Amino acid sequence: MQRQLFALLLFLFLPLAQASQPITIGVLSHRGDEATLAHWSGTADYLTEVLPDYRFSIVPLAFEEVTPAVEGEKVDFILVNPAIYVNLEVRYRVSRIATMRNRWGDDAYNTFGGVIFARAERYDLNSLSDLKGGTLLAVNESSLGGYMMALREFKAAGIEPYRDLRDVSFAGTHDKVVMAVRNGRVDAGTVRTDILERMAEEGQINLNEFRIINEQTGEDFPLLRSTRLYPEWPFSKVRHTSNLLARQVSVALAEMPEDHPAALLGNYAGWTIPLDYQPVHDLLQELLLPPYQYSRQFTLLDVWQRYWAWLFSGLILLLIMGGLTTWVLRLNRELSHAKQRLEQRHALILDSVADGIYGVDTQGNSTFVNRAMEEITGWKADELIGKNQHYLLHHTRADGTPFPGQECPVYHTFRDDKPRYVDDDIFWRKDGSSIPVEYSSTPIRDDNGKVNGAVVVFRDITERKKAAEEARQHQMELAHVSRLSTMGEMASGIAHELNQPLSAISNYTHGSIRMLKSGQEGIRRELIEVMERVASQAERAGEIIRQLRRFIRKEEPERNAVDINQLIRELVNFLQPELQKAGVELQLQLEQGMPLLWAHDIQLEQVLLNLTRNAIEAMQELPKSSRRLLIRSSVLQTEVEVLVEDSGQGIDEAMRESIFEPFITTKTQGMGLGLSISRAIVEDHGGTLLLDSAAGQGTRLRIILPIEQRGA
Amino acid sequence: MAEQSTVFIIDDDEAVRDSLSWLMKSAGLLAETFASADAFLNDYREDRPGCLILDIRMPGMNGLELQSVLKERRYRLPIIIISGHADVPMAVRALKAGAFDFIEKPFNDELLLGHVQRAIEQDRHRREDMAALYQWRARLDTLTPREREVLDLVVAGASNKKISGELGVSTKTVEAHRARVMEKLQAESLSHLVRMVISAREG
Repeated sequence: MQRQLFALLLFLFLPLAQASQPITIGVLSHRGDEATLAHWSGTADYLTEVLPDYRFSIVPLAFEEVTPAVEGEKVDFILVNPAIYVNLEVRYRVSRIATMRNRWGDDAYNTFGGVIFARAERYDLNSLSDLKGGTLLAVNESSLGGYMMALREFKAAGIEPYRDLRDVSFAGTHDKVVMAVRNGRVDAGTVRTDILERMAEEGQINLNEFRIINEQTGEDFPLLRSTRLYPEWPFSKVRHTSNLLARQVSVALAEMPEDHPAALLGNYAGWTIPLDYQPVHDLLQELLLPPYQYSRQFTLLDVWQRYWAWLFSGLILLLIMGGLTTWVLRLNRELSHAKQRLEQRHALILDSVADGIYGVDTQGNSTFVNRAMEEITGWKADELIGKNQHYLLHHTRADGTPFPGQECPVYHTFRDDKPRYVDDDIFWRKDGSSIPVEYSSTPIRDDNGKVNGAVVVFRDITERKKAAEEARQHQMELAHVSRLSTMGEMASGIAHELNQPLSAISNYTHGSIRMLKSGQEGIRRELIEVMERVASQAERAGEIIRQLRRFIRKEEPERNAVDINQLIRELVNFLQPELQKAGVELQLQLEQGMPLLWAHDIQLEQVLLNLTRNAIEAMQELPKSSRRLLIRSSVLQTEVEVLVEDSGQGIDEAMRESIFEPFITTKTQGMGLGLSISRAIVEDHGGTLLLDSAAGQGTRLRIILPIEQRGA
Repeated sequence: MAEQSTVFIIDDDEAVRDSLSWLMKSAGLLAETFASADAFLNDYREDRPGCLILDIRMPGMNGLELQSVLKERRYRLPIIIISGHADVPMAVRALKAGAFDFIEKPFNDELLLGHVQRAIEQDRHRREDMAALYQWRARLDTLTPREREVLDLVVAGASNKKISGELGVSTKTVEAHRARVMEKLQAESLSHLVRMVISAREG
């Protein structure tokens, strides 16, 4: 109920309360919050009284609370020691509007210092250097009178407290420092001037209990001190506080009587216009304290101390980057090694293949070639790469006609994107000779799948062709031999068959003759019987002959369309080794567009083979330079003529008549059947085989065959 | 003596063997014909003299095979091979295997008959020699072991004195053995004895 009433009252008076704007004064609470409020509330009340539009209040701030309060604009005015003030001035544009006049007894003074003291019985402690190895208790690192001033004096005496003293520690408030020294917990303490005197006055201590170290006198300063003097605490406005209010407060403070109750309460003697705080600046500069912590010569250690986190992170970053770089470099090196190895392997594979391999771009130029390619063609890689492969390798067809680039299968490959295989073609060597080849051409694509050339793999098929030719030749020879041996067997079979009746006839007749000669009687019947047997044996022989004829007729060969030029080319191919061996110079004159013949190709080939072999053999006696063979094909109106002419001795007139007869031969080895069989074959085809020869002028044989329609 | 020689003709061709038989008959020779080697083997006895005309090319057992069979059986009938002209290598083999002669078809009758006559002659001689040899061996078998020893030493050219020394008997005893040997072997003289012993060894 009471609470509600209070709230109601507060509510009623709110407009009144609003009329007086609250103003806060932050005060460094160096002796504890209670003491601070007790000392300074009077001053706030005084200001509220003088400036009724405002309601001033005190906010005690511990050392570490000062900066956040200013920074966060939690206070409008600030009352702190000069060192803190200098910092705030520099960092937060705080500006002093009055300097406190301190009071001691009846005197007022606006400077203060620091006092370093020990327990009175420590006779050993007189000068600052006596404290080396000892312990020192101060108020706070930011306390001007309670630490910094003493520090400055230590340094001036060549003593680095942190280095030379066993321990430097901080108690937080002046009073605690004094009590700690009094209790003997530390060797010495330092507080601002007047603390000892005030505590003594308050009865907390007795001044006799302490001795002052490095005691300073003079300058008309009444209090115990060990350091130089510095201006007293300034009363300052914080940046956001209006200048008008600041001026009003400044005037109010300046007008505060020396003995105003608020001043008495605060143990001061009013305020003066703000003093010069240069000595404080000097001190801070000397001690390299904020805001002068940067002004000293930067040593690497300082850099490290100040920026170690950055440096450390930087260093780590640098290390990571270095590591990464190394890793990337190594990866790169490994990749390039791998690439190199791959390329080497690639090249090794390419070069170890016996087939020629080369690449072609869409312009038709070679992009790469392998070793086999160089070896087969005689062209070097640098003579091929970037050059048009078709005009180097492929310019002319096997039959000697030019091979236009548009028709090159390799180019077709990347035009229609289809692989090709050509099993019989020729490539040209650098030296102008040609090589029979089979090759495949495969399109190659770029990363986008677009055809950007072709790879050609080719093989020298000289051996293959030679082997095929040899196989063919072998087969032909076999066929020839088998034909001959069939003939031989048949001949021998016929001979045996005929021999039987002939032997019987011979025996019977000779026996009969003997009988008749001997003149025996009564043998007539017997003789007639024998003669009948003779007659029947003769008939038996006749039957054998008839059977033979029937047998031969059964072997009527099949005919088909024959390109006589093709036949001649095949024959020449087949006979090439023999021609070379015999040193015969062959001249082929084949008329283009010969009509097809309806013939038995094996038989015609047999005829051509017989005539050609005869011709080769006929020139054996001649010097090599004059062994010439001409094979010519031509079309006569309704006939086809093939002429085989040698440059041999010819055939003399006597032989010419019988040369086509069986078993007539001019050769030391031979059955004399070649020409007779050949004539029989040609005549069987409805043609004629003519001899045109004169002794010493070579032999010319002409095969004339009618151009017949199929089935004719 | 015994049986008259016969010409045995083996040929698968009837006309040939018949005409051969006619030819032999015209020359006054006995002939027998066979269509195959087997037929001949079934019929023939070793003691029949004569010769063989054999066609080398026949179905079944051919001429060469028959030749080797006869050889195995120790039939020593002379063989005249007849053949067509393409069978020359076979004829050569037959000759190497011991054929008497070889003649090609068709035959020259004089030539063939000449061969046949000579073959028959050879066969007859061989058979006479064989008979003499068997006779000799039969006589030799009648000798006692001591007489055999005396014969061997005599043929080796030893004197009676030496023989008596070798055998440890008196010269007189040696002479008695010698006389028995001469008598048993029907030797006319010492030289006749030696000749018979040597020819028997060679046979």
